[in-house]
Amino acid sequence: MAESDREPDFPGTAMDGNWRSLAAGAVGLMILLAVSPQAGAVPSFARQTGMSCEACHTVFPELTHFGRVFKANGYTLTSLKQVRDVTGNMKELLELSQIPGLSIMAQISDTQLKKALPDLSKSAPGVAENGTVGFPQQLSLFYAGKIAPNFGAMIQLTYANDTGSIGIDNTDLRFADVAVLLDKSSLTYGVSLNNNPTMQDLWNSTPAWGYPYALSNAVVTPLALTAIDQAFAQQLAGLTAYAFWNESLYAEVGGYRSAKQGVTNQLTGGAGPLDGTASNVVKGVTPYGRVAYEHDWGRHSLEAGVYGADFRLYPGAGVSLRGPTNEFKDVAEDFQYQFLAEEHQVTLSGTRIHESATLAASFAGGAAANPTDTLTTTRLWGTYYFRRRIGATLQYFSTTGTTDDLLYPPTAPHTPGVVTSANGSPDTRGWIAELNYLPWLNVKLSAQYTWYSKFNGAGTNYDGVGRNASDNNTVYLLLWFAY
Amino acid sequence: MHITAIGARRLPLADRAHRLPLLAVTVALSVAAATVRGNEPDASARVHAERSAITVCATCHGARGNSTQPKFPRLAGQNPRYLAAQLKGFRSQTRGDPDAVSYMWGMAREFDDAMIEALASYYSQQQPEPSAAPNSAQLERGREIYEHGVASHGVPACISCHGADAHGTQDFPRLAGQHAQYILKQLASFQSSMRDVAVMRGVAQNLRTAEMQSVAAYLQAQP
Repeated sequence: MAESDREPDFPGTAMDGNWRSLAAGAVGLMILLAVSPQAGAVPSFARQTGMSCEACHTVFPELTHFGRVFKANGYTLTSLKQVRDVTGNMKELLELSQIPGLSIMAQISDTQLKKALPDLSKSAPGVAENGTVGFPQQLSLFYAGKIAPNFGAMIQLTYANDTGSIGIDNTDLRFADVAVLLDKSSLTYGVSLNNNPTMQDLWNSTPAWGYPYALSNAVVTPLALTAIDQAFAQQLAGLTAYAFWNESLYAEVGGYRSAKQGVTNQLTGGAGPLDGTASNVVKGVTPYGRVAYEHDWGRHSLEAGVYGADFRLYPGAGVSLRGPTNEFKDVAEDFQYQFLAEEHQVTLSGTRIHESATLAASFAGGAAANPTDTLTTTRLWGTYYFRRRIGATLQYFSTTGTTDDLLYPPTAPHTPGVVTSANGSPDTRGWIAELNYLPWLNVKLSAQYTWYSKFNGAGTNYDGVGRNASDNNTVYLLLWFAY
Repeated sequence: MHITAIGARRLPLADRAHRLPLLAVTVALSVAAATVRGNEPDASARVHAERSAITVCATCHGARGNSTQPKFPRLAGQNPRYLAAQLKGFRSQTRGDPDAVSYMWGMAREFDDAMIEALASYYSQQQPEPSAAPNSAQLERGREIYEHGVASHGVPACISCHGADAHGTQDFPRLAGQHAQYILKQLASFQSSMRDVAVMRGVAQNLRTAEMQSVAAYLQAQP
């Protein structure tokens, strides 16, 4: 989902220009950027290959082994007729599919919180309307498929109802090729230019394409989020190189730079250069690495891997891009098991992200209570589908971390709380249960319930003004289709 | 990897329903009469086919055609004329079992004859690896059905077309070492005519589920 530098809604959490709250934004902004339901189910791939969705997906957007290999090969496998141009010595100048890889995707949703939010109008007290219809929550246009031999892309443009505008969404441009080794095994290798760390990954256990695949954007989200957990989706540009040996051993290295959307340099009026008026700007290059191993046998597939990145960020937002930074060093493990039979499909998956934050900039500026903090996010989930038609997913999620009452601030006097933490703890824990029905493989109806046992540090009265974790429990109904 | 070819003929699914009798004849004829023209594929087609087999087909059909996923058939050692006829059946969308529709109609839609013949030749030359031995209690019953059929309800012996060693002939497929699950799915597709082959429909329509399981297990265990 496209994100922009949204302003927070509530006083007391606003990045209002002073150093203290702005530096806290190093983490705070991540939170605000983070509600990022992903979307990946692209029928233009089916048109290009002539194969059904089920070749690449168990049920969208989860990939099968074939889907992972297709992605690693740069989305270029095609059986469409091509428009060609060749030189006199048969060198190819052009190989263009006769059908462009275009797709439309829509999410239409209804969201109900267990307890309505405070009404922020001046005539308060009162409560906000409970029941948010997203029509659409999101509408996307994809180019997804081959561009030229060995060169393919998945480019997503999204209109979202919260921003009310169209913006760039997950985008991955790839050059890939395959070498046949001496022992007749294959080595797929390539480079990916993408805008969201882990969106180029092949497994659905990493953040960008991990569960939940869709979430409401009309809910209360926890304060804390690790940097690699889509905190900077669509705000970075990364170039990574990867190799996938024998469709089993995968390794990738690369780096990301800030590539802000909707941010201008006030001198030039243009898209840059970035200066201290921008927030959370990457210093230099953020290194990214990934190693995974997949073993496939019979109907089974098992993957285990590690991934990580080291973000050094200038808080910016009124402070020049020099001096100390905040560093977020993320190291994560993940696994995915799939059992794919004719009628029954089972997936078990999980990831654990450990973040070590060295908050030199924020601590010096009085925006973090500790010079170093840690944050650990764990997600474990299982999915079952019968005939790819009826399915259910259950996920456990947990985030725990160092108490820091400047990063996770308490409710200020005369403010409504809700997105605050009375005790300065980021700890959040709960479950998501989801039922899905697919009348066709490209149309999904979902009913999802999110249950919080702990939210921003407590189960009851977490904001100090009477809101309980369970008040943020959410019913989310979704119609999701792509064509 | 790009699969390139010319001249695929496609029928929409809706049309197929009306043409099944014609297709039955077409498939039967193509199985019976498909040839590889007697010529070995030329060198460039051979190289292209081998590369495609290793870098694309192998994802489902396994290294050198020894698939480990029971959903996808093992192709190593398969008879080339049979294999070429199937690929042409996918290309013309006349072979209509569910996985053929979902996977192979797309894969094969732009294959030209040279590619089909080279792929068939490549797989026929690969060494079949032994499959895991299935439930031994079914093997003896499976062997009996394979060799003698089931006289009580008119099931002919498989051996008469597929051979004593289940290695098939030019026009009839090798079944030895094939995934039992794959064989079961094909038998079901013959029964329902989704895979419309008159001779196999006649064989399969009287087979009972337990008999199919036994013969499939027996075949998977054969070298």
